[in-house]
Amino acid sequence: MPLKTLIPLLIATPGALFLGLSLVWLLGAGVSERAMARITKAVYSLLTLLAVIIGWRMSAEGAHSVRVLIGDWFTVGHYGYPLTLLVDGLSLPLVGMTVVLVSIVGFFSVRYLHRDPGFLRFFLLLHLFTFGSLLVFTADSLDLLIVGWETVAITSVLLVGFFQYRPEPVRNALWVFTSYRVADLFMLLAIFLAHHWLGTTSWDGLLGAEEGRGIHGTVVAVLLVIAAGGKSSQGPFWGWLPRAMEGPTPSSAVFYGAISIHTGAYLLLRIEPLIRHSWIATGLIIITGLATAFLGTLVHRTCADAKTSLAYASQTQIGLIFVEIGLGWSTFALIHLISHAMLRTLQFLRTPSMLRDYHRVHAAAGGRISPTGSHYESLLPQSVQVWLYRLALGRGFYDAIVDRWIIAPIQALARWLAIFEPRAPVKKAADR
Amino acid sequence: MPHLSLPYITVALACLLGGVLVSVKAARPRRSAALAAALAFLCFLAAAHESGSAGQGSLHDPLLPFFLADGLNAVPMAFYAALTLAVMVLAPRRDAAGQAPAGMLLISLSVQTAYAAASWIPMVAGWWLSCLPFALGMFGSQRETRLTIGIRLASCVALTAAVIFLSAPSTTGIAKYGTLWSLFFVIAVVCRKGLFPLHAGVVHAFEHGPLLPKALLFNGHLGVVLVARAMAVSQPAAAHHAFEFLSMAAVATVGIASLRAFAESKPRRLLAFLCISQASFMLAGITSTNIEGITGALTHWLVVSAASTGLICIVRALEVRVSSTEDPLMHLGLAAKAPRLATFFLLCGLALVGLPGTLGYCAEELIFHGMLQNHLSAGIVLLVATVFNAINLLRLYNTLFLGVLPKHVINIPDALPRERWPLTVCILFLVLGGLMPRVVIGWRSDAANSLEKSLPAAGGSGHH
Repeated sequence: MPLKTLIPLLIATPGALFLGLSLVWLLGAGVSERAMARITKAVYSLLTLLAVIIGWRMSAEGAHSVRVLIGDWFTVGHYGYPLTLLVDGLSLPLVGMTVVLVSIVGFFSVRYLHRDPGFLRFFLLLHLFTFGSLLVFTADSLDLLIVGWETVAITSVLLVGFFQYRPEPVRNALWVFTSYRVADLFMLLAIFLAHHWLGTTSWDGLLGAEEGRGIHGTVVAVLLVIAAGGKSSQGPFWGWLPRAMEGPTPSSAVFYGAISIHTGAYLLLRIEPLIRHSWIATGLIIITGLATAFLGTLVHRTCADAKTSLAYASQTQIGLIFVEIGLGWSTFALIHLISHAMLRTLQFLRTPSMLRDYHRVHAAAGGRISPTGSHYESLLPQSVQVWLYRLALGRGFYDAIVDRWIIAPIQALARWLAIFEPRAPVKKAADR
Repeated sequence: MPHLSLPYITVALACLLGGVLVSVKAARPRRSAALAAALAFLCFLAAAHESGSAGQGSLHDPLLPFFLADGLNAVPMAFYAALTLAVMVLAPRRDAAGQAPAGMLLISLSVQTAYAAASWIPMVAGWWLSCLPFALGMFGSQRETRLTIGIRLASCVALTAAVIFLSAPSTTGIAKYGTLWSLFFVIAVVCRKGLFPLHAGVVHAFEHGPLLPKALLFNGHLGVVLVARAMAVSQPAAAHHAFEFLSMAAVATVGIASLRAFAESKPRRLLAFLCISQASFMLAGITSTNIEGITGALTHWLVVSAASTGLICIVRALEVRVSSTEDPLMHLGLAAKAPRLATFFLLCGLALVGLPGTLGYCAEELIFHGMLQNHLSAGIVLLVATVFNAINLLRLYNTLFLGVLPKHVINIPDALPRERWPLTVCILFLVLGGLMPRVVIGWRSDAANSLEKSLPAAGGSGHH
């Protein structure tokens, strides 16, 4: 089978599985836990095999990149929506990583979620997520990338609210969704402005265009950096990742330890030539990454629960990956990204038994495990230590700032708009 | 004058009228109304097929030549007939009793009359007829507010006045005030579409009174039909200002409704703001005066109709299952008992706000491109509004379906078979349409091309 068939097959399989199983369920039929487990295992084994074959064939043929032209999704006037996939040295490792990690998490979840009422829902969303992330990593244009990008976002949000009978996950899912949508706004703006100014959003067109080196390229690059920051919980979108820990542990592992959280970094690696031409975009990436890494590592030290602690640790590492990309160390950033994803998946999957592990190690060490980093902290003056501790304990006061300066003014404006509605009783929204 | 091979439109309208007359007194009104809606659907489908095969141009009905099928109305007529059938089937038992099915068929008849109109007179008749079921009190004790009734009547009066000014012979004294037609035309569209600052009328209509007939009336999108028809015949100078104003009003409505929804927690009102905002995209797209925007708007017409009908029917289905969804102090948590209804709701909603992979995404993508070509700032407002609408959709979903199940909701059924099938068809249309948008866009391309060609005459820029 040629590569140009294998690549679309790899991406379409989880999507088709999601559609088929969802339709069966919506029409009233049930899918048993055992059937779902078997289907998942079979499909992810096949996907892993396909990814290996694609890698092996590309290596054997000496192909640095394979571009699959499927045609236009739709065409109106002079505007066509291209359906082109690209597998190259950047996307292939990430495709392989996605397939392997989702397979591991899928196999793990069969036991972990045994008899959970949301078993079917979890696996349906996992399949949709796989489709979305494979599309992100193989899209040959921003137009197609955003399809996968938003698919990943919606599955992520639905899994944050997985335990839907508790108020906290529901509230946090809305928070995460809002953060994603605001970040997506920058992505959409970048796409439309790229069409408007550069006439294309394909990687070749975007990164090779002369206009991409001027002010237009800078604007598009800055918008994409902000969108990437939103996806990877960096900079102003710093607050959603800890809230996303409300989902089941396997989804936290695959989304916020491994794949979803790294898609922002992938986007930056992909548009690196565009970033290189703009010192504003480069500076923004470095500053965002450094600030997030510093805050992440600070807050991480005061977290009382394992998953939140891991979330901040992830943020710290991704902040460092951003810095590496900003400094132009692309290969190093890619290696860092993949190794971080692997390690963090393992750590997340081990969180349910982390305390037991810690006690075992503690006992084996004779009770002499000292917390890391305390030496550096002790070098700071006492007053600074207290101030930093307060800052870390308040998680950078992020929630308070967002509540006061963003949510409250928007809600006040929304309530004020009721002046156009005669006798419309307006009550303060119960939730955000 | 080319004709349809058979009088499909006359037969379809006759079926609807017959359905009204039979079901108004029938013991089982839902059954006879659904049968009439199904027959009408088949006739409109045949007319759409013939019209599509004939390409650009219009085919008049051989029996009643003041009705026609062309690129603009053929697909919406079949689609609207399918929606009517779906609403008949989906309606809870209490909403499908008494004269209510007849009332809903009468709304359908009025909308289809306006769609099929080959001249202004049947269109005006259709607009007035749509007020009749509410005036006759065919929906039982569920009464409308004065505001809603007033705005609807104002739209009919304004349209009548506009038509009088437009069609007055040049020899009469009234022709001196010919440019006034555009003022009345704008009033008619603003009232009918619920554009800012009259959006409160639609919100009141959703909040008070019968919800399902409102879904049918709202999804007729007669304001858009009027704008599209007027584009072809209007006077250049007056039309230019009218379209400019409507474009601004549509963009303002999109933005304001999406923002205003943040202060809402009542499900019906939240849903109303969501629908108003998304429906106004259509007018923004049509008045963008380029092929991308117009095609996007005509495709979005089908998306909004299908998705918002699905959402409204689900909300109504929930209202009759639990004692009240009004102003919940906490989340209702109904997904625990009705996971399929929750899924249908989420999919319809995500298609409405343009999630990639659904038809709504393709339609909005085209509208954004159309708007950004001509009015960059307006395009950005639309983008921001989609973000707000998506957040409000999730708020509504959370309110209805997530959270702790109240103690009084002991056991409610999930989607019944008669609800499951129409909603599945609706979802399939939105999702498969999104995966293969060429098909649906192809249905609308003839109409979009015709409209774009007529724009220079109507005073639009016709910009590419």
